[in-house]
Amino acid sequence: MKQYLLNTWEALSTIFIGMKITFGHLFVPAVTIQYPDVRVRLPERVRNRLYVNMDDCIGCLQCARACPVDCIDIETVKSLPTEDLGKTSNGKKKALWVTKFDIDIAKCCYCQLCVFPCPTECIYMTDVYEFSEFGRNDLVYKFATLTNEEAKEKAAQYDVFMEEKERQKAEAAKAKAEAAEKAKKEKENEENKEDNKDK
Amino acid sequence: MHQLLEEIFGSELIAIIIASSLPLIFITVLVIFAVLLERKVAGHMQDRLGPMRVGYHGILQTIADFFKLIQKEDIVADTTDKRFFNLAPVLVFAGSYAAYAALPFSSAYIGSRIDLGLFYIVAISSLVVAGILMAGWSSNNKYSLLGAMRSAAQIVSYEIPTVLVILSMVMISANFTVDGKGTLSLMEISEIQTSSFWNWFVLGGAGFSLSKFLLLPFTMAAFLIFLISSLAEVNRTPFDMPEAESELVAGYHTEYSGMKFAMFFLAEYANMFAVSAIAAAIFFGGYQSPIGYLGNSLGIEWLVPIEQFFWFSVKGVFFVFVQMWLRWTLPRVRVDQLMTICWKYLIPYAFVNLTIIGIISLI
Amino acid sequence: MTIYDIIFYLFAAITVLSAFLVVTAKNIVHSAFYLLFTFFGVAGLYVLLGADFIAIVQIMVYVGGILILLLFGVMLTNKITSVEIKSGTIHVLPAVIGLGLFAAFVLSTMMTTKWKSNPAELPFTTVYDLGYILINEYVLIFELLGILLLIALIGAASIARKDKE
Repeated sequence: MKQYLLNTWEALSTIFIGMKITFGHLFVPAVTIQYPDVRVRLPERVRNRLYVNMDDCIGCLQCARACPVDCIDIETVKSLPTEDLGKTSNGKKKALWVTKFDIDIAKCCYCQLCVFPCPTECIYMTDVYEFSEFGRNDLVYKFATLTNEEAKEKAAQYDVFMEEKERQKAEAAKAKAEAAEKAKKEKENEENKEDNKDK
Repeated sequence: MHQLLEEIFGSELIAIIIASSLPLIFITVLVIFAVLLERKVAGHMQDRLGPMRVGYHGILQTIADFFKLIQKEDIVADTTDKRFFNLAPVLVFAGSYAAYAALPFSSAYIGSRIDLGLFYIVAISSLVVAGILMAGWSSNNKYSLLGAMRSAAQIVSYEIPTVLVILSMVMISANFTVDGKGTLSLMEISEIQTSSFWNWFVLGGAGFSLSKFLLLPFTMAAFLIFLISSLAEVNRTPFDMPEAESELVAGYHTEYSGMKFAMFFLAEYANMFAVSAIAAAIFFGGYQSPIGYLGNSLGIEWLVPIEQFFWFSVKGVFFVFVQMWLRWTLPRVRVDQLMTICWKYLIPYAFVNLTIIGIISLI
Repeated sequence: MTIYDIIFYLFAAITVLSAFLVVTAKNIVHSAFYLLFTFFGVAGLYVLLGADFIAIVQIMVYVGGILILLLFGVMLTNKITSVEIKSGTIHVLPAVIGLGLFAAFVLSTMMTTKWKSNPAELPFTTVYDLGYILINEYVLIFELLGILLLIALIGAASIARKDKE
């Protein structure tokens, strides 16, 4: 009987204690952050969406090689010696046309391993974290500054250049070979002459 | 009120129809308000904010939700018992709506002035039980059936302490009526507790007699018992096993969607207010103002019923708030604990309370 | 025809129709649910007769108690996941004879009785007088009934209780 009354008392008193606590919390300022309107300040070194500053990219492919999930896809075309592609901000000379620089952010695991090898620090993590899309293909970001036509043109141009060079090389080689032959003949002729003199 | 309507519309039938649909408007407004209140109370008690986006601080959230609900597809599972599946929400809502017929909203408006008001409300709420069982069974889903069975067992069990407490309060009311007979009419019970909060039954009834001070602790105990058992009767936390989301999905309304689900929802909130209003009427003076009427002191007669309606709503909503408060304070009890609370604690206490109140009332 | 007449016919129709469905329904749970409307209709008829207390007791005891018990009984004693609970028609001939006799008896009583057709009175509070009579004139019967119910309750509990080994 005593236990019975004690149980009752305990139940009632603890309920009132609980109610007091919850009532107190009614007036505690909410910890909610009204997200789209108010945003939390992100830490300095957050890893979110990747961005590539194409002005600085030299197309060295180091980031693509570092990527553990192969989400970076780069294609480059060599430039002609006559073309000046400018310099990167830290003074490296650019020598390649970057015709394709695709990052499939859907695959990206935000490991930041691509950021460190970059010699020009042109690939980095930004603080943008809202980039949902309706289609998965929309998550493939294309950073290359050249349009498809330009890329083709550059490739064709390089091919032409290479062919030209090849041809020039071949010609040069031919010329060289001819010259060598000529020289050889001349030498032989001279030797023959000297032989004749000796006789 | 009734006569006024009859004069305006010139027909008894139209007056009856309009008078009987007034609580429906009240319930709709109340539910829109109470759902928002529930979410806001829940939010702030957990240091959150609750809905914030629709309207200023989310005040239009419930209306938006309502439009969402009526747009929804009405999904009826293939193996349900169609006829009863469709009937059950109507029955549940009818049961909770019928209780409003005997609630005195003010001295000018009560659905029906029957003398058995309280008894009627207790009886008609059994329609809700039948409706819940119907919903659970016709859903053809084991969780729904389990939820319905639990709910029925729970409501039937907790009706006993509720009725015992109501009985003891009716016995107290016999001390204050003119002819010495107790009354079951909520209107008369409210009338007895008039003019000041000092006369409320929770404080032992009117006057300064010795019996009032003797009764005071027991009426307070009666109020606690009533509060606890009314929580169980409307399936609110900590007694919400019938719709326990974490174990029974959602109990008897698992299979319901769209407007039918909205009916259950409406019925639940209507029930919450109904039991709160009964608690207010038998313990806290019903529609009577605790501090006197502005209309009386200004001499404007028609202001009094409006004030009474205001006080009735405020008291009702306050107890609805207490229910929410308890919901966010207490965890859900187990089924065996539920039955223990009812049969081993509440019923003995209610019995002892009834006996003591009876003896004190006699002397 | 006043509103009350219309309401009377409404309740009468509900009672008769649902009673018919109780008997004809194949599924016994359906029968139980239809029984709810029968009880409810009967309660409505009581109200129209001015017997409000009886009407409410009708709802409370039959709808709130017996019907729920019935449903529990049906649901707990049968397979609840598959609907195998059926009621069929058997013994047609004896039933027809019995029912015919009963119908003849009811009809003859109806024809021979002189019906009082007083205008309906406004219902007054019956609960106080009923209570007064119950614990004054009929107190013995009242107490005996109470004891009977108590015995039934204790008996049911002792049957349901597990034997302690």
